[in-house]
This record gives sequence, structure tokens and C-alpha cells, in this order.
Amino acid sequence: MSSILIRDLVKRHGAQVTVDRVSLEIGQGEFVAFLGPSGCGKTTTLRMIAGLTEASAGSIHFGTREVTNLPPYLRDAGLVFQGYALFPHMSVAENVAFGLQMRKVDRAEVRRRVDEALSLVKLAHLAGRLPKELSGGQQQRVALARAIVYKPEVLLLDEPLSALDAKLRTEVRTELRRLQSALGLTTIFVTHDQDEALSVADRIVVMSAGRVEQVGTPREIYQRPATRFVAEFIGLTNLFPGGLEGPGRFRCESGECFSTGSTDVPPNASVLAIRPEHVSLLRDDPAPGGACALAATVEDVIYRGALTEFVVRTASGAKLAAHLQNTDLGRDELRPGDRVIASWPADAPMLF
Amino acid sequence: MSALAITGEDSLTGGQPAPGCPGRRRRRSTAGWLLFPSLTLVLAGLILPLALMARTSVAHFDAASPDLAGFTLDNYVRFFGEPFYLMILARTLVVALSCTAICLVLGVPAAFVISRVESRALKTVLILATIIPLLMGNAVRAAGWMVLLADKGLINSALLSAGLIAEPVRILYTGSAVVIGLIAVLLPFMVISLESVFENIGTAYEEAAQTMGAPPWTAFFRVTLPLAMPGIFSGCLLCFVLAMNAYATPVLIGGPSFQMMAPKVFEQAIKVYNWPFAATIALVLMAVTLALSVASSLALQKRYGVL
Repeated sequence: MSSILIRDLVKRHGAQVTVDRVSLEIGQGEFVAFLGPSGCGKTTTLRMIAGLTEASAGSIHFGTREVTNLPPYLRDAGLVFQGYALFPHMSVAENVAFGLQMRKVDRAEVRRRVDEALSLVKLAHLAGRLPKELSGGQQQRVALARAIVYKPEVLLLDEPLSALDAKLRTEVRTELRRLQSALGLTTIFVTHDQDEALSVADRIVVMSAGRVEQVGTPREIYQRPATRFVAEFIGLTNLFPGGLEGPGRFRCESGECFSTGSTDVPPNASVLAIRPEHVSLLRDDPAPGGACALAATVEDVIYRGALTEFVVRTASGAKLAAHLQNTDLGRDELRPGDRVIASWPADAPMLF
Repeated sequence: MSALAITGEDSLTGGQPAPGCPGRRRRRSTAGWLLFPSLTLVLAGLILPLALMARTSVAHFDAASPDLAGFTLDNYVRFFGEPFYLMILARTLVVALSCTAICLVLGVPAAFVISRVESRALKTVLILATIIPLLMGNAVRAAGWMVLLADKGLINSALLSAGLIAEPVRILYTGSAVVIGLIAVLLPFMVISLESVFENIGTAYEEAAQTMGAPPWTAFFRVTLPLAMPGIFSGCLLCFVLAMNAYATPVLIGGPSFQMMAPKVFEQAIKVYNWPFAATIALVLMAVTLALSVASSLALQKRYGVL
């Protein structure tokens, strides 16, 4: 295992730049998620790290070894493909043995390590099967065993869970995280699913249009998004365009005036954002005072079990989403048309 | 042949009646009727003539009357009894097998390279370049080879004037010339069918092999090639069958000194007017081609599953 150092990595396709000066340092044994919408350059970046796509500029180091211009077979990376790419003409055991055979490991040792890797992913009993005889989840685990059996310097995962159904996905990602930390694998995980990234990664790299928008722990990314894009991409967000009006006050285009609350307010802020889960709704009376509350009418109610999603419209016509936990079983139900007061804690607003 | 057994429903429920609707299994799909037109064509255009040919091959030959008469195995005895005809069969087999082998060796790398070209425009150009030989008629192409390979043809003239040889080398009317001429026709078929095979396999398996430490050649031989085997076999079969039955190229480039099966059928039927013997040669040619194809297909099926 080694750390990964990426410096000013660029990929150009003709005039089009798909990855634009990406720089990143990933520590030994760290689990990093590349998160972004499709076409943001996250998979291209991963392919450049694996050596499957040539970098147009910049450098990549595994530890102290520069690999920028090495072909993939000399890089010593383990890669799990989106569709797994298990060799259909080889059994599970042969698939897992492939990387070891390429490293000229002797036969007895190959057997031992294949067995070990397969029991690690709990598939030892299926060693003789062909990939097409396995379920999607089992194939996924074979792909993982195949990538870690030769103890690669880095483990690269390209949307490894996207082909699985929702329930299995949660199970497999927990399992993946457990294996990763048990083996101390330096891992890069590419995904477009923010839940997946938040729940599994040590750090998240949010990418958009080929650039890194923000790098941080899941908590940092969620609670202190650096840009409007990050705030919108990670979780739903209420956005109010407008401008600052004196210290600590933000005037929305729709007319409302909010307290900015947070400490680091960019001087040219043009958008105020509030997470739906920070908004609370109260029956119209008694109307609480303070800048963080405004009168609104309930427009839409979606009951989601653990929480209820409300859409309310303020007097000026702005829409506001609010997610309320359904902790209070006896709470009287809000219905479309009800008058409410929407409020939020003073430090909830984020400004961009 | 599985197409003949289309019955709809069954596949969804694994042949069992779906729970809660016991009557549904009775209603069979009528999709089988769609095969009717093509089956009729095959029956009328292939099976009947074949039956007629089989009948002709066991008839007495009487130069005076064209009617079919009598039953005899004389024609088969003559074919398998005379080394002359067995030589023709053997020669045809050798030519067909060498053509197939050479097309395979030349076709696989070409097809692989074309399938991995990234630019769509370049790929189209390469594929067009591959099939250009097919755009002209057999006779025209053969005439071209004759100009090139004859005793006083371009190659010999060039070699003579360069002083590399003192006497013209015999190329035309030899086995090599026929093989060269046939390869020119067959290689496009091989390359085109293999190109789509490699295209369909895609690059993911090679990339997976390479990230696991396989150099490109190893990835190709350990992963891509085994996966392409069924397609490669189809390509070989196509080449082999076409070469076995080639007519124009052997006649024009092989000439009277290098005789093959298909021209022999023509000669017996049209020149000698011995229809029974022509039918016999045609059936032997067909039977040998079919037997070898089926045998090799079964052998490969054992190794690579369904082809």
C-alpha cells in the first residue's frame, strides 16, 4: 500500500478539457470518494490513475514512485470496473488467480492466496463456478477479490455498486468499508451517489466539469460546502438569490430579509442556502419574532416514513422545502393550505 | 434449430404453469408460422433439387438420352476408385485448408487492429479498404492476377529486368497462384466477420487484464482470443466453405494443370454432358465440406460451449 500524489492532472480531447488541473494527495490506507455528476471527469481521472487513459499533463505518484507514463500492467493497481469485466471463460478461482499468475507467483502460493481472497469475500464455496452462474452481488465480490488478491499499491473502484439493487448496495458498501480498513488499502471510489460517498469515505473529492470543487471529510462537505455546486449536489438545498445588505443581513430578490448567522460570510455573496432538514414548521400562532422566521402556506406534503417532506410558499411567493423527522407520533398533521411559520437556527444559512 | 421450438409463455415460467392462471399454458404462441415462408423457400429451393441430384447421381449414364434411368453405384465407384479424382478432392481440401489457415493468420491481427481504432472515420475507411476486392467480379479479379502472375506478366518481367532470375518463374497455373487468388477473395470475409467479433468483445476485458499486470500481448492471448474463439471459428468455416466451392479463381488461375472440385462438376455437366457423374462429384464435395464443418464445430463446442 502506498499514498497517491496527483499534481495538476489534465486530460484534453482535442479542444475539450475533461479533467482540468486536478491536484490531490491521498494518504496511505485512506478511503477517498470521487463524487460528481456524470461527465464531471471523475472516471477519466480514475482511468488516468490506473493508466488506462493517457494523461495530457501533470503527474501521478504512487508513494515515491512516479507512474504517470507507465503502462497499466506496470502500475500495480487493483481496479474494479463498473460492469466488473470478469473473464467469462474463466472460473471464479481462475479469475482471481489471474493477477497472481501475471506476477509469476508459484502455483501452491497462488492456490493459497486465491482461497484466502475468496474466503475474505465469503465466496470460497463458489470457486469452481463461471461468472455467469453467479448473482450480481457475488460477481461484484469476485471482482473485488480479483483486484485485492495480489495486494496492489492502490485499489480503484469505478462505480462498483451501481449495478446492484438498493438493499444489496447498502450491505456491500458496509462490507467494502470493513475490508478496506481491515486490509489498510489505499482506495479511490468513484460514485455519483452522495449517500454512498458520505457513508463510506474518509474524504470526499467533489468534482464538477473536470475541476475539483471541494475536498473534505463527509461532515465538512455536508456542513460547510465550499461552493453553491457542492451545496446543491450534496443533499437538497433551498436557494435564495439576493445580496448582502449591511453586516449580518441578506436581502432576497423576493423581498425577505434574513440574518446570515454564520461567521465566514463572503463579501459578494449572491445566494443564501438552507438545508430542508434545518427548517422547522410551526402552526401560525403565536408568531415568534426574529429574522429567521417567516410566514408561509403549506403547499405539498410527502410522507416518507422516517420523515415528512413539506413544500411551503412564503408570502412573497418563494418556495421553501422542509424535511421534518416523524419523531412525535401524536403531532397534529399539517395539511396543504395550512398557515405555518417556517424558522431555522441562526447558524443554518450558508452563503455563496 | 431452437428457432423451430418457439412457444412463447414457457420461458417465463420455466415450463411450469404460472400460479393462479392454470389455463394460460394451453394458449401456444403462433410465432412458429412466421417460419413458414422461409421454410417453403428452403424446401423448394434446396431440399428438392438436392433430392433430385442424389437421384441423378445413382443413374446410368447414357450419352444418347438425357432421361434418368436405372440405379447404379458406378459413379461413386468411379470417383473413389480412380486416383485422378481422389487427387482432385485432396487438392481441393489442401487448397481450402491452406487458404483458411493463411486467412486466419493474416485476418486476426488486421481485424483486431481495425476493431480497436478509435476514430470512426478511420475505421470506416479501413473497413471499406478491406472489402474493395469484393466490389469487382471474380473474373475481373482473376484476370488481374493473370496479368500479374503470367510467365510474361508484371512480376516475372520485373524480376527478369532486375536480373534476379534468368528464366521466367512459373507462378500462374500452380497451386500457389490459386491460393493467392483465393486469399484475395476470402480475406475480406474473414476480416469483416472477425472485426465485429472483436468489436463486440469490447475493451473492458483487456483493460481488466492489463490492470492486473498482463502486458498487451498476454492480455490478448489469455483473454481476448479465447473469447473470440466462437467468432474465429465461424470466420474459418466461412473461408473453408467458400474455398472448397470456389469456381472462377481455380478455373482462371489454376487452369487445366491445377484442377479442383467445383470446376470438375461444371466440366462433367456442361462439357462432357455426364450429368450423373457431375451430380456424384457435387454430392461428394458437399458431403466432405459438411462433414468437416460439423466435426470441427462439435469438437470446438466441447471446448468453448455453444457456438
